[in-house]
Amino acid sequence: MSLDTPNEKPASKARSARKAPANKASAAAPPAPLKAFTDTLLTVLAGNLQARVPKELVGAGGEEMAHLLNQVLDNFASSEHRKHVAAQEIDQALDALISLVREGDLSRWNTTTEDPQLGPLLEGFGKVIETLRTFVREINEAALRLSSSANQVLAASTQHETSSTEQAAAIHETTATMEELKHASAQIAENAGSVARVAEETLGAARAGRGAIGEFIQAMQQIRSDGVAVADSIAKLSKRVERIGTVVEVIDEIADRSDLLALNAALEGSRAGEAGKGFSIVAAEMRRLAENVLDSTKEIKNLITEIREATAAAAGAAEASKTATESGEKLGAVAAQAVEGILAGVQETSDAARVINLATQQQRTATEQVVASMAEIEDVTRQTTQASKQATGAAAELTQLAARLAELIKRFKAD
Amino acid sequence: MAPDRAVAAQARPEQEFFCFRVGDLRFGVPSENVLEVFRAGLLTPLPRTPSFIMGVTGHRGEVLPVVDLLRFLSKGEARIGPRTRLFIGVTGSIVAGVVADTVLGLRRIPVSEILPPPLGGDSAAEHLLGVVQGSTAQDGINLLNFHKLLQTARQRAVAR
Repeated sequence: MSLDTPNEKPASKARSARKAPANKASAAAPPAPLKAFTDTLLTVLAGNLQARVPKELVGAGGEEMAHLLNQVLDNFASSEHRKHVAAQEIDQALDALISLVREGDLSRWNTTTEDPQLGPLLEGFGKVIETLRTFVREINEAALRLSSSANQVLAASTQHETSSTEQAAAIHETTATMEELKHASAQIAENAGSVARVAEETLGAARAGRGAIGEFIQAMQQIRSDGVAVADSIAKLSKRVERIGTVVEVIDEIADRSDLLALNAALEGSRAGEAGKGFSIVAAEMRRLAENVLDSTKEIKNLITEIREATAAAAGAAEASKTATESGEKLGAVAAQAVEGILAGVQETSDAARVINLATQQQRTATEQVVASMAEIEDVTRQTTQASKQATGAAAELTQLAARLAELIKRFKAD
Repeated sequence: MAPDRAVAAQARPEQEFFCFRVGDLRFGVPSENVLEVFRAGLLTPLPRTPSFIMGVTGHRGEVLPVVDLLRFLSKGEARIGPRTRLFIGVTGSIVAGVVADTVLGLRRIPVSEILPPPLGGDSAAEHLLGVVQGSTAQDGINLLNFHKLLQTARQRAVAR
């Protein structure tokens, strides 16, 4: 609307200027010199600003007039030309502005003017545009840097999130391991406790064994002294038996002589004939008695032989028993020593098991504390993960925003 | 002794024998030929005598030749131990000691039970009066003709 204004004004001027001659022409047909003026003016009014009053057509009187009018026309034409140029420059500037507003293209502002009146205005515009350009350049640069930074932030945030997740997993795993460790230490403590109990029982048993071995050794000594007494008794018995043998020999001898005496008595009786008959019978009876005694002594001798063999065997057995009890005593001593060793070992085992029990209990307590701490750390890590997720989300958003800003800024062409 | 007494009560004729054992053989000698029995003591061997003369021994101040019946009858050899007996046999003027391992005793044997010695027997049979059967073959007793035996022995001893 306002754009037409500069064109309209000259037109109306032209019309008003043209009106006057038209009125003049319509009023009366001008004479020939005037007609040149009129035609020229009509031509000018028609748009041909180059039209001039030809001097040859005007008469002598009109030369001055024509010259003046031509000067006016010249001025008018130059004025019109200036107006036209200004309008063009203004159009150009407006185009540039429109393009700037529509497309953000600041690069196309290179409008110049010779018009001194328009000069400051365009110059002002130019400065504003230049300032805008600088802004756009800086904003563009800032947007680029922002985008890059946002990307970096996003990358860092993502990495942080990843490592935070990994950390959470590791912490979880550590907690599980610590739980297992806790269970294991509890198991160890329990086992150590039962080891201590078993060691205690073994200690009791070994003590009982020591007592039993002491009694065993005493019994062995008793057996040995008894065996010595038995051997003595056997020796005495052997002597008595030998004595009995001697006595039996005497009896045997007496019986044998009795036998002979009775036999000879019987012979004497036989020689006495019928008178010695009874005597012979008695003698035969005596002889039978003597034979009985001999039989008995023979039996006794056999018994003595058996007894001798038996006592010899008993003496051998007593000797063997003595040897056996001696070795039994030695073995008992060795066993006692071994049991002492067992006692010492079991005592050590018991102490060690107790220490292990104590240590594992402490370990369990420590492990429980570690588990509690790990739970707290896990909690914190979870929060951290949450936060880093949020940070990642924000960073992503920021990256998007930065990209969008860069996109927007791209629409302004600064160069 | 009850059987002896019972035998004596009967009127059947019987003879008393001095019975003994040498080696595995049992002999009987009529009791009137036996003077005494004693333990065989130390024997002194005699040179230049038959082998059945084991030697001589002293008894009650007399020197007696000692005869081994087993050797004399060719039935083996007698051994003298601590319990070996010698009995003094006498017949006529001949007195000799005879070796006996064990004296069985004086036995009265009914004459009717005495069996003649087995015919066709060995040289021992000529010195036998007869045989008395025992409950077993071992218990059988050879009754010696002691008079003939000692005479033969003296003849043999002197003949050398």
